[in-house]
Amino acid sequence: MDFTYIIDALPDLMKGLKMTLMVSGLGILLSCIIGAIGAALRMSGFKPAEYLVTSYVEFIRGTPYLVQIFFIFYGLPSLGLRLSVFWSGVAALTVWASAFQIENFRAGLAAIGHGVHDASASLGLKRWHHALLVVLPLAARAALPSSMNTIVATVKNSAYLQAIGLVELTFVAVDRIAYDFRAIEMFFSICVIYLLCVFTLSGLGHVLERRLNRPFAGR
Amino acid sequence: MLLFEFRSFLLDGLLNTLLLSLVMIAGGTGFAIVFAAGLSLPSRWLSRPVFLIVECLRDIPLMVTVLLVYFVLPNIGISLDPFWSSALSVSVWGGANGAHIIRAGLASVPKGQWETVQAFGLGGWKGLLLVIVPQAMPVILPPYISLVTGLVQASSLGAVLGVNELLRSAQVLIEQTTISRGGSPAYLVYGAILVVYFVLCWTIALVGRRLEAHFTKPYSRDRHSIDRKDASSEVLVQTAPLDVRT
Repeated sequence: MDFTYIIDALPDLMKGLKMTLMVSGLGILLSCIIGAIGAALRMSGFKPAEYLVTSYVEFIRGTPYLVQIFFIFYGLPSLGLRLSVFWSGVAALTVWASAFQIENFRAGLAAIGHGVHDASASLGLKRWHHALLVVLPLAARAALPSSMNTIVATVKNSAYLQAIGLVELTFVAVDRIAYDFRAIEMFFSICVIYLLCVFTLSGLGHVLERRLNRPFAGR
Repeated sequence: MLLFEFRSFLLDGLLNTLLLSLVMIAGGTGFAIVFAAGLSLPSRWLSRPVFLIVECLRDIPLMVTVLLVYFVLPNIGISLDPFWSSALSVSVWGGANGAHIIRAGLASVPKGQWETVQAFGLGGWKGLLLVIVPQAMPVILPPYISLVTGLVQASSLGAVLGVNELLRSAQVLIEQTTISRGGSPAYLVYGAILVVYFVLCWTIALVGRRLEAHFTKPYSRDRHSIDRKDASSEVLVQTAPLDVRT
């Protein structure tokens, strides 16, 4: 292993890492929004919306992510929707991750007991106050571990986007290997970078989890 | 229609996908058993490194693992063709995920069961396979089935290395018809492939549910009799379902 080569390649890798983080950050943000809307629709009691959301979740979870990416990048232009590589990547990540986030948030909402509604009603809370101040914190606490898993998976799944030519971390590594044949060095460095990202994110998740658990701890 | 015209070509791809998936499922199960055994080794000095390997495999993106095996192994003198290279990398990943599923399943069987098995003189492999594993099955199967569908989906990664499976044949079909006819409906081809994969995974999930029902049957009979209620509920303690990390 040649460490001077890794140091030499570091600026390129950092550019790739920036792209990875940008794509996955946007994907995480959008998928959380869509996940919340989808979970609300699924719990709404309006049957057609429920079936629509459920079949979306089942279909996305039952098909390979790589094929979804190709469908969005190569297939959609012939249907009249032309996206750049970057936005195709964001769209693919969002479509994939939101299916999982819908399930996570739905499980979080379902974990809230019926007594909570009764308690809010007896305290005379308005509907919106009940939803925002009571249901949301409780549901967030219940959904956090599983949605944190999905968030970490979103960052990792951004590596698939090298297949459509998005210049992110994996693409940079494979591209440099094509020139210099330093496979061991490049894969060692991107593995370390990915592991650091994953550990940082799950560490943040644990901190947040402890913060949200504080009202319930002790006594 | 394009899909009908090239049906034998696409069918070839589907057959290769099925073959690749079978190899991955078999390999993944093998690695899962090895890793699970490694995780439960009595000495911490032996089980810690296994845990570290498993954790790394779960936390590195699958795409990176696949490319890593393809690009790095030749450097240390092992040259694999794309088929075996993708099969090996996905199997190792599946094994890392499966190891925790198996370990959690075996841990869910009450300790008294193992002691009873030994008291009956059925120690070792025989007791494990005949008594402990069947009881662990209701806990193992649900996440394991989702791992199997994950492995079938991961077989599409072979296309990145150039294995002639379903996704690759879709790509080739689109390329060829674009050159020869000046355009092909990519959305149609990829959409059809998506549907095929969905049907495949749906079928596996259905079979899995049947299998699950088979293994939970002995306990569901007990549920209605009052005097043995506690015994059955003890066995059916479900741990939180383990997620498969891509």
